[in-house]
Amino acid sequence: MSSVKFRLKANSQKAGPVGSTKGLSLFSLPALGWFVFFTIGPLVAMFYISTLNWRSIIGQSEPAGFSNYEKLFGSDVFYAALQTTAIQLGIMIPVMIPLAFMVGYYLTLKPRGHRVLRVILFTPGLISISATAMVFYAALGPQGLVNGLLEAIGLDDLTKPWLASADTALAMVIIVGLWQGIGYSGVLFAARLESVNKDLFEAAKLDGASEWRIMWRIAFPITVDFVGTLTMLQFLWTLFGSAGLILLLTRGGPGQTTTTLSLLIYQKAFFENDLGYSQAAGVVLFVIGLAGMILIRRLIRARD
Amino acid sequence: MKFSQLSGGRLGAGALVWAYGLLLAIPIYFLVVSSLKGNLDIFNDPFGLPKEWLFENYSEAWERAVLGKALVNSAFVSIAAEIITLALVIPASYGLARSRSRLSLLIERIFALGFLIPAFATLVPVLLLSIQLGLFQRREFLTMFMVASTLSLSVILLTQFMRTIPAELEESAMIDGLNRFRIMWHIYLPLSLPGVSMIVILNFLAYWNEFLFSLVLVGSNADNRTVQVALPTLIDQTKTEFGPLLAATVITLIPVYILYIVLNRRLENALTAGAVKG
Repeated sequence: MSSVKFRLKANSQKAGPVGSTKGLSLFSLPALGWFVFFTIGPLVAMFYISTLNWRSIIGQSEPAGFSNYEKLFGSDVFYAALQTTAIQLGIMIPVMIPLAFMVGYYLTLKPRGHRVLRVILFTPGLISISATAMVFYAALGPQGLVNGLLEAIGLDDLTKPWLASADTALAMVIIVGLWQGIGYSGVLFAARLESVNKDLFEAAKLDGASEWRIMWRIAFPITVDFVGTLTMLQFLWTLFGSAGLILLLTRGGPGQTTTTLSLLIYQKAFFENDLGYSQAAGVVLFVIGLAGMILIRRLIRARD
Repeated sequence: MKFSQLSGGRLGAGALVWAYGLLLAIPIYFLVVSSLKGNLDIFNDPFGLPKEWLFENYSEAWERAVLGKALVNSAFVSIAAEIITLALVIPASYGLARSRSRLSLLIERIFALGFLIPAFATLVPVLLLSIQLGLFQRREFLTMFMVASTLSLSVILLTQFMRTIPAELEESAMIDGLNRFRIMWHIYLPLSLPGVSMIVILNFLAYWNEFLFSLVLVGSNADNRTVQVALPTLIDQTKTEFGPLLAATVITLIPVYILYIVLNRRLENALTAGAVKG
């Protein structure tokens, strides 16, 4: 990650005060200890739990070797969840990132009303998952906003329970994700683009380049590192973070149509009390996250 | 704006962005008007103003979801987590900003990489940890976990901020005989207040809005649950009263929007810095 590299460089270049800095690292030990205890420790524990047969949160566990993984790779639910996750990511990321970049670029042009627009685009970043889910639960329900609207314009035939129909539930989950993600990422792109020296843009404009060309041929390459970072973050947030929203919107249904890998981990642990299986799926999710991060980094590097 | 600047592409882009803005605004409008309606009115006229203004939706939501208690619980968790986070992050950032040792470099690296660990991956082990410690269904454990979940980003951001404070200040203070703790408290803390307020804002949003861990670690018992967990309890599998449900949603948003109105620019900067620099 570029910013990580940057930070480490900054640290070595800009030395501390002349004189002793001994003992200063001790100041960060309480924070480090806290972080290791509540984050890194549990992460390591996930790998261990995935090798246990553990059928109840308050019950006893016994070693099970790799049998949870055998069960996982032999179960249809796992492949279905994998496919759902792939569809979700495969649509959300390629749609979200370019649109968000365009929104961000548009904001930096400071068009009329851009302050208002910025506030609106920020809104999903302020609202919790449960509030978002409640709004869409109401809007997409059988008696909600969308159906009411369709009836009002005479398209009664198209009304349906959007979240409870097998053919639309996943699309709705993706749309809510995009609703949340595009505006917020757009504002982030705008913040990054604002720190770019605008002379280049002006020069290109004088040469007669269109905004579209300036956006993709100049602004995009300059900020490609940040595009990569944000793509990576959105990838991780979608991959791991979708469980809460889906749990509230559809509980993974109807059937299994909206059960992503992260929701499967939740369901197996808390609905079916199979902690070993759940954490084996957790390990797979973790590996996918890591592989995806490396892949996105490679893709960005290759563009340079 | 000069007319020549209004190229077709730009107009098209503008129309698209505003259309998207509208898509964002419509559900929010729907949320607010529907919170004052009954089910029938919501369905028959989703965009119209309420035929009857049902302000009692708010009192009904308040009572049925026991929101008073939930708000107190959320406030408890958010405030306690803020205090612990600052107590850990300020010294850590000061140390990391000024130390040149290998250990510091390593610790900084752990936090930088730790930022990429998705909290969700640790959900089940963290639950088991809370049971092991005898703190299951306690707000205190949720608080401690939330601190950990925001620690790495907070340390990264504040360390960057403290690095911009000239080291000469510290040197002259040491010549004056101040020890490290006093330097941190009397020099670094006051000078890094903008950075501190940034992480306080960023973390408040994270704490107040957290849902999944609050659900799993504390549960939906009306005495302990946070607002985000209380909210979905108003969904009824057979027949949901949408008016009170959306009224409760509005109530949970009020603290965040008050913050946004008061801190507007600062809050935007905090949110963007959180992702841009992290």
